[in-house]
Amino acid sequence: MTKLVKLLKSTADNIAAAMLAAMFLTFLVQIISRYLLDLSLGWTVELCLTLWLWLVFWVSSFCARESDHIRFDMLYLSVNKKVQRVFGIIAALGVIVGFMYSFLPTLDYIWFYKIKKSPVMRIPLHYVFSIYGFFIIAIVTRYCWRLWVHIHPGLNDAREKRENA
Amino acid sequence: MSVEFTVCLLVVFTMAALGAPVAISMIIGAIAYLGLSGQDIALAGEQIIQGVYNSFILLAVPLFIVAANIMNAGSISDRLLQFCVALVGHLRGGLGHVNVLSSLIFSGMSGSAVADAAGIGKVIIGMMTKDGRYTPGYAAALTAASATIGPIIPPSIPMVIFALVSDASIGYLFIAGLVPGLFMGLVLMLLNRYQSARLNVAVEPRTPLRALPMITWRAFPTLMMPVILLYGIYGGVTTPTEAAAVAASYALFLAAVVYRTISIRELIRVFRESAISSASVGLVISAALIFNYIVATEGLPSQIADLLTRWNLTPLEFLLMVNLIYLILGCVLDATTVILVVVPLLIPACRELGVDIVHFGIITMVNLMIGLITPPYGILLFVINGTTGIPIAQIIRQILPFLGVLVLALLIMTAFPDLVLFVPRLFGYPG
Repeated sequence: MTKLVKLLKSTADNIAAAMLAAMFLTFLVQIISRYLLDLSLGWTVELCLTLWLWLVFWVSSFCARESDHIRFDMLYLSVNKKVQRVFGIIAALGVIVGFMYSFLPTLDYIWFYKIKKSPVMRIPLHYVFSIYGFFIIAIVTRYCWRLWVHIHPGLNDAREKRENA
Repeated sequence: MSVEFTVCLLVVFTMAALGAPVAISMIIGAIAYLGLSGQDIALAGEQIIQGVYNSFILLAVPLFIVAANIMNAGSISDRLLQFCVALVGHLRGGLGHVNVLSSLIFSGMSGSAVADAAGIGKVIIGMMTKDGRYTPGYAAALTAASATIGPIIPPSIPMVIFALVSDASIGYLFIAGLVPGLFMGLVLMLLNRYQSARLNVAVEPRTPLRALPMITWRAFPTLMMPVILLYGIYGGVTTPTEAAAVAASYALFLAAVVYRTISIRELIRVFRESAISSASVGLVISAALIFNYIVATEGLPSQIADLLTRWNLTPLEFLLMVNLIYLILGCVLDATTVILVVVPLLIPACRELGVDIVHFGIITMVNLMIGLITPPYGILLFVINGTTGIPIAQIIRQILPFLGVLVLALLIMTAFPDLVLFVPRLFGYPG
């Protein structure tokens, strides 16, 4: 089980790295074609923006650990473990309720874009935007797991041990 | 301020205080606002998706982070740091001076304070805290403070956005940032000198004089980076965003071909790490976009602007007032948001009161960069916390004196426009 999770995580990380590398290369193609070959390409900008959108939400969904995120943890760190658990439970509930509440309307919005295609590459935009839907599902799933872990602190110790190992 | 907006702010601050990521807290606050005010909930997703998908300028962020990470992995920033150590390392508070000096040079390579703090900042914090020379809090605070110089010295992403909304000349804005950037470096060094003497920090041995030419030679290709970037932008070869890609490829060229210090495996690691850190910054920016939308809907900035124009102010009074507003806004909002939302509202007042637009631009930049290190919402503090794990509370405790001298520098630049404008005038600026 742990092995499978590790493999999935490392695959997700590699996909993120590949997206970033592709963005970088596309940029170079754009600069070279515009200034050396005097050829203005439309698809490069669009591809970069699409990759950037996917990168942000792909990483936030599948790669970033809680500690990778930008957090304001002054108060959280200053309280004891017990209070931290209560904090964690309230925060997790807030995230789950908030994102669940927005899920269906947001899905509706993304689905609405199936009638439109991106200007140059002609990709249906609901595919482009779908990553935000996955992001919501991933965040809700993650925080459900965190909620579970906070309610059963034994699990947390086991996970911390694993993460430190 | 409506009840809904008050609730929104409460939700954001409560969630963040409970330890949820800042970006997630802002999205939840926005959803609460939309739900309470009876608007379409999907607006949150819409603003976020469209904001990221449509802002070409944001692409510079991941590319500058890649560039900075390659520079770190490929010993490029090591060589730059060695060069700085050889120059100022033996002075009292030497490593602190190295921190500021390397930030000054790095500013000429990168356009974002976040990339400065996340890139070279991580290395210098490691050097400063080794063997307990400086406390982690002090090292992190000085790094955050010196990273604010990044977008003041060209190239600069926030200046491009400012030029976009104000119609000021990007060329003159860039050049005008040179002296203020150096000035900020100077006041930080003076404070560092004083603090190091007070804390009695150990003095490093002087680098032998005959080693100096070799160290300079080794750092030379790195020192060429600002020259190449400025030529790229001023020679009309690249847009400022593309300059980020040029910076990354030049760094890659140096690390892989010239210095041969980076392997394929290392490179993959660099891209994995850059992907994760640029995405977490991207998430905060995207969450700021929906927040930005709500602030604009509430009409808050326009109420402030109305109030400002009603009073008959001299240019200096106006700028001092603006400083105050920026510093307050900068505590809670991110710099891009302030530039996009607040600056357009102040431009008309600026023209009427006879305030020079380039001077105003630089004052805005310095203000907002100071805003990046003011608690509670100081993105540089979060970034350094994210890359080094030094707790926010420790950084905040040490940041206050640095904030103080930067504000002092800001006031001097506000009172003496010539300090900012004399260089652009040399280049033919008519203002």
